[in-house]
Amino acid sequence: MEYQMTIGIEIHMELNTKTKMFSGAPYHFKAEANTCVNEVDLALPGTLPAVNKEAVKKAIEACTALNLKIDPLVRFDRKNYYYSDLPKGYQITQQFHPIGRDGYLTILDANEVKKIGIERIHMEEDTAKQFHLHDLSLIDFNRAGVPLIEIVSRPDMHTAKEAALYVDKLRQIMSYIGVSRARMDEGSMRCDINVSLSLKDSKSLGTKVEIKNLNSIANIETALNYEFERQKALLENNEEIMQETRRFDEKSQTTVLMRQKEGSVDYKYFPEPNIFPILIKEEEINTIQKSMKELPDVKLERYQNQMGLSAYDASNLLSDKELSDFFDEAISHTSNAKLLCNMLLSEVQGLLSKKNESLSTSKLTPQSLAKIVELVDTKTISSKQAKEVLELALDGEDPLKIVKDKGMKQNSSEDEILKLVLEVMDENPQSIADFKNGKDRAMGFLVGQVMKKSKGQANPALASKLVKEELAKR
Amino acid sequence: MNISEAKKLKEEAVIKSRMMAKKSNEKLNAIVTLIEDDKCENPNGKLANVPIAVKDNFSTSNIRTTACSNILNNYIAPYDATAIKKIKEAGAVMIAKSSMDELAMGGSNLTANIGPCHNPYDLKRISGGSSGGSAVLVASGVTPLALGTDTGDSIRKPAAFCGVVGTKPSYGRISRYGVIPYASSLDHVGYFTTNVQDAALALEVLAGRDDLDMTSSYEEVLEYSKLLDYEYKDLTFGVIDNVVDVLSDLEVKETFLKLIAELEEKGAKIKHIHFDNDLMKALFPTYFIIANAEATANHSNLDGVRFGVSKEGESMEEVMINSRTEGFSSFIKKRFVVGSYSLFEKNQERVFKKAQKVRRVVCESVLKELSKVDVLIAPASGKVAPYIQNEEKQDELTDEYLIAENHMVIANFAGLPSITLPMGFKDGLPLGVNLTAKAFDEVGMFKCAKAFEDLTGLKDLVKEV
Repeated sequence: MEYQMTIGIEIHMELNTKTKMFSGAPYHFKAEANTCVNEVDLALPGTLPAVNKEAVKKAIEACTALNLKIDPLVRFDRKNYYYSDLPKGYQITQQFHPIGRDGYLTILDANEVKKIGIERIHMEEDTAKQFHLHDLSLIDFNRAGVPLIEIVSRPDMHTAKEAALYVDKLRQIMSYIGVSRARMDEGSMRCDINVSLSLKDSKSLGTKVEIKNLNSIANIETALNYEFERQKALLENNEEIMQETRRFDEKSQTTVLMRQKEGSVDYKYFPEPNIFPILIKEEEINTIQKSMKELPDVKLERYQNQMGLSAYDASNLLSDKELSDFFDEAISHTSNAKLLCNMLLSEVQGLLSKKNESLSTSKLTPQSLAKIVELVDTKTISSKQAKEVLELALDGEDPLKIVKDKGMKQNSSEDEILKLVLEVMDENPQSIADFKNGKDRAMGFLVGQVMKKSKGQANPALASKLVKEELAKR
Repeated sequence: MNISEAKKLKEEAVIKSRMMAKKSNEKLNAIVTLIEDDKCENPNGKLANVPIAVKDNFSTSNIRTTACSNILNNYIAPYDATAIKKIKEAGAVMIAKSSMDELAMGGSNLTANIGPCHNPYDLKRISGGSSGGSAVLVASGVTPLALGTDTGDSIRKPAAFCGVVGTKPSYGRISRYGVIPYASSLDHVGYFTTNVQDAALALEVLAGRDDLDMTSSYEEVLEYSKLLDYEYKDLTFGVIDNVVDVLSDLEVKETFLKLIAELEEKGAKIKHIHFDNDLMKALFPTYFIIANAEATANHSNLDGVRFGVSKEGESMEEVMINSRTEGFSSFIKKRFVVGSYSLFEKNQERVFKKAQKVRRVVCESVLKELSKVDVLIAPASGKVAPYIQNEEKQDELTDEYLIAENHMVIANFAGLPSITLPMGFKDGLPLGVNLTAKAFDEVGMFKCAKAFEDLTGLKDLVKEV
């Protein structure tokens, strides 16, 4: 029998704000434990929440990017439960009136465009981080109160691949528009998946199983494929699928049982009395939407249609936000997009990986890469020389200074190069004879000799043209 | 000693106040923590050298803040509540953190973990609560000003029992930041003084928008103490007949009605207001449900994990359970049970949301009546302060209790400014009257209160012990 998975995904994303959701404490994910904390985050008696406007703005941007309808009346509720990582004993969230409803995003799955529905996005605050050692527990309150949005998809996905594409697309969009760092490895993007299995064409869905602890997109795919086989085997043996929460186990690459669902917890939700409803005017929403950063899909189109990059190059640039940010900055200093793209994707990436570095760790600036592109574009230096300049520029040196110090200017004077060509011809009669006898390679050798004589400064195209002309004459 | 007398005495006022505090507290038991080292920070401020007492639910940096609950017995806040910052900037000097019902959840001050607070007019009687300690310290002449909080009538009831002026301004008028809550939507910061002039002056210092309290108002702060001039003919008082009708103590009733008649004689307009009696009887249960629902969430932070008294346990969960089990009195736990019950998903529609609806209906009908008058007026209580021993025996289901002893919660439901001041004595014990005005019409409220005070001549009452 043929089975089909039905997958819904809940994603918690940390908003990329300077301060927390309801307090003025700063937040940085790398900060030392318990250094980004104030009295509000610790829920000391008498403290009150003050809504972070920047967080609301970013939530509106997220809703806009994912085509949700925005509720201009922002309201918060309390979700009550006791846990030592939850300082107030309740979490401020948006249970009854999420900031956005009914949106979607599109994924490209084997050249087929698929629309995945998004039910809601709501704002809330993060909990503290707990570390359980064998005889004590440690709590880091830095994360307590960090602004989050929860993005709840509709159960529109049916394969592990679709789920992975959906999560990756969300990651890409949110990091591009600067709403979140959206890094699963850092925990700024966390993913819970609900999956059930039913017979293909069956109208009723199977029992829902929740999978947690998915910290990479690859793991999502692995976990779902595993879950498909596990549940299928149970169904085929006429065994019952339990409603339960499972955890992806990195070591075994499988999902393991965390807990069985025993009646849902009563969170006693009620409206947060310390925050009156906040009405955001339509103009304010419009202003936020107009000043939003470019969406990746729009950028992809711009790279291809306005800059003439190939679809392959454009999507390569987009695959990494750092790369495309670097490109966007550099392109404002040079006009040759293709050359810039080539240098960035091949030479720069190649050199960086050789040195085990990345764009952010290297000292190369978009401006200096643009300068190198310009130098090549104006034929001031050869592309061979460009590589040499680039290597030094990676250490932070100014390309113009490198070219000057090394006396690297490309020689494009026809007279001077012709002089060298004639010298080389005279010195290598055998090569001329070889060429005449049909050995084309001899010409390459002669050009190489010219380049060598010019100490690499001769314009290679020009040198090659002159060698060819001179050979014809002899 | 009122505020202007204290200002004239300068540093002497503080010394005198501290001496009286030490001397009288043996009898009153009104003080949780005596503050010996606070100094005037602004000799030119509106409250320069004015000694003040502060209810023990205001966070005060470096001074213990216990809210009279065992779970906070060792708690020292690392920050000052906004109200504390403001009075310090105005030059006031803290003398004491004053006693209160545990976590402000009570109306007798008998639930304080340091034991009952005694009424200076008769030490065998209660002060009223929950801001009992502050009421008593002003009534006994220790300080001319004391901060309190008012969720149901926690300033205005003890003010009546102790013969002082108790003010609870509009919701949002004074920042709640740093004040240990009871029920966020009903909690108000307020204070006790010995006369209306001082009450108006104190509001000038305490009021104002605070970005740390999103419910605080941007409404302009006026110089209330300079806006007290009135003419009787310009004032309209709306007598709440429902309250008068249920009073069983005829002396209280006559005292009140006689004053109303006198107001009318002076030229003030008197209107009689009849609220739906069922609505009036619903005030207390409605209040009890909303207040305790919010309280159970508000106090979930008291778990012994990050601050306060922590009890040992095998796991974090056990630490939390043990700390809460031992840290709260059974009275508080009972209220948490009520609050949780009303919030459970299966009960919420029937209990919590229904109470919210009743609250809205009350607000609508009160605002409708208020639009015709300057203030609503009624006795603050139908009785003098009860005996400490008898307090437990009160029947909470009589109409008199439900209406006469709970009507002041109307001002908390609708966030209205409300003030209690002395209206007379019975057997040497003070009786209070309550005035409630439109939201942010503190000026109107103070004018009516001043007119009433001038009529009775009952101001600057002090009962030293």
